[in-house]
Formats: sequence, C-alpha cells, structure tokens
Amino acid sequence: MSHRVVAIGLGLLFGFMISWGHFTDPDEIREMLLVQDPYLWKMFATAVAVAFAGSRLIRGRRAWLVRERVSWTTTPPGRHHLVGAVTFGIGWAVAASCPAPIAAQLAQGVWWSAFTFAGVAIGVQLYQRGRAGAPHVDAGPDTPSEVTAGALPAGPSRRGGRDASRIRATAASGS
Amino acid sequence: MIDALAVRAPWYVVGVALGLVVVAALLTINQRIGAVGGYSDIVDRLNGRSAGLGWRAWFLFGIIGGSALFVMLGGGTGAQDGYGWLTRALGDRFELLAAPILLLAGILIGYGAKTAGGCTSGNGLCGSSLGSPASLAATATFMATAVATTLALSLVA
Repeated sequence: MSHRVVAIGLGLLFGFMISWGHFTDPDEIREMLLVQDPYLWKMFATAVAVAFAGSRLIRGRRAWLVRERVSWTTTPPGRHHLVGAVTFGIGWAVAASCPAPIAAQLAQGVWWSAFTFAGVAIGVQLYQRGRAGAPHVDAGPDTPSEVTAGALPAGPSRRGGRDASRIRATAASGS
Repeated sequence: MIDALAVRAPWYVVGVALGLVVVAALLTINQRIGAVGGYSDIVDRLNGRSAGLGWRAWFLFGIIGGSALFVMLGGGTGAQDGYGWLTRALGDRFELLAAPILLLAGILIGYGAKTAGGCTSGNGLCGSSLGSPASLAATATFMATAVATTLALSLVA
C-alpha cells in the first residue's frame, strides 16, 4: 500500500513536471534531437546531476517506508543493452516521444498518442512472450536489470548497507 | 489558473524536480523509477501473469494524473493540432498514415526499452545517475541513435 501511494505521488510530480517542461510536445523533442534546442539536454543533465548527488547522500540510510537501507547494485553492459537501445532510439526518433511522455500526452488530449501507447504495450508483450520460453533469473516485477535497488535489511550502521550492497548478486530481469 | 504554467518552466526547475523524484523513490521505498516498467505491470496483469498491479503501474497512472492536473491548472503544453512534425510531414492527404507509423514506433520503443532494461527515465535518468555501466551504455546508444535517426528523417521529411 505504501508503495502504491508513493508511486502515485511521485508519478503526479513527474507527469506534472514533464508537461511543464513541454516534454510531451513532439516538436520540442524533435528540436532536441536535431540539436537545435539545448533546453531538454540541460534539463536532463540537471536531473541526472541532482539524482547522482542525492542518491549518494542517502545511500546506506534507512528507507522511510520499508525496512531496508537505501542500496543498489549495478551490472556491466551486455549486447542486449545496446541492441535494445538502438531499437528504442529509432522508435523514440520516429514518435518524438518515449514511454512517460506518451502516457502524459493521453491526458492532454493528444489522441494520436493512443497508437504509440498501444504500440509500447504490444512491444512489451512481444518481449515478454519471447522471454517466456527462455531460462532466466527473475528478480521480480519491481526489479530492473541495470540497477537493482532495495531488499537490503536495515542494519545498525550506514557502512553495513554499503558493504552489503557491494556483494549482493544482481539478478537479470526486464524493468 | 496559474499564469506561470502558461509558459515552459526553466530547465533547471524541471531538472531539479525530476532528479528529486529519483532520490525520493529511493529514500521512501528504496526502488528505482522507470516508466516502461509500468507498461510491463499492466501487460502482465492483463495477461494474468501477475495477480495485481505493481507499484510501477501506479507510477505510470500518476504520470497521467500529473499531466491532467497540469492542464487543469492552465498549463500550456506547446502541443499543436495533430502530432507535430509527423502529421505535418504527411499532410492532410496522408495524415491517417500517422496511426500505423506511431503504432510501429511504439512497438520499437516498448520492445527496445525492455530489451535494454529501461527507457529514458529508467536507464537515462535513474540508472545513469546511479552509475550503472549498463545504463550509461544504453543511454549513450539510444541518444546517439535517436539523434542520427532524427537527422536522417529531417533530410527526407
């Protein structure tokens, strides 16, 4: 329940801000990708910088709503990351939109995005179907492949969280 | 109505807010945000592969709600009639072709994001800020691909 409430709240803020930043306008995204408008590049860099600094500040602290310390593990890049990224990049360029803005466009009455939304769902379904027969380790529906966050029990010290996070195995699954 | 919402927010305001969303997800529920994960949760629920919706689906619903709230408060999205450059390039005569084109683009986005382990938010924003080599490689690749594809499309459309 706490996950759901937090997710809705953070989603509201995320959707509001990408709308205010005109991330939902295909023409703005196209200008960004044509390197004609630095706005979205600067915005993106700022967001990464803030998240980078903030995540380091809270790493090892106890998360507020779960009995875990804030932690994550990472994995090295594989061929599937690059193949998937090329596929994603082509789709992003054609639609001039990506999954979060596509959803936000629906709420703004951009009805063309219903086709993109349906396409994303079909693409996810095709991926899931392809994976269904393949052996893999599934870390759960909430666990992405590149960075696995969470599931570390809260201990008495911040150092314990950091050290434990280094040795945790990272399971592979789709986000 | 809030007048400030009628024009695009300064880039640093949006950037700081989105960065804080990543940090807040870690600090509260110790999870990494990602929009395509919400689509996965919905697809899995519809297929009966999961008994209920995961938190990422609710994050996606929140995004839709936040966008609706923005418009209700008088926000200007900058979006025009049609679908921007695509429907303009197709013209009135071929405008309906935008539907299959966007459907196909969406399939590439969904399949590609799942294969790459995340989308612009999951890999680009969150994974990169957490220092994931896989996310950094994926982000650099999809951004370079998108820029190259857009430049190529601009030559023909």
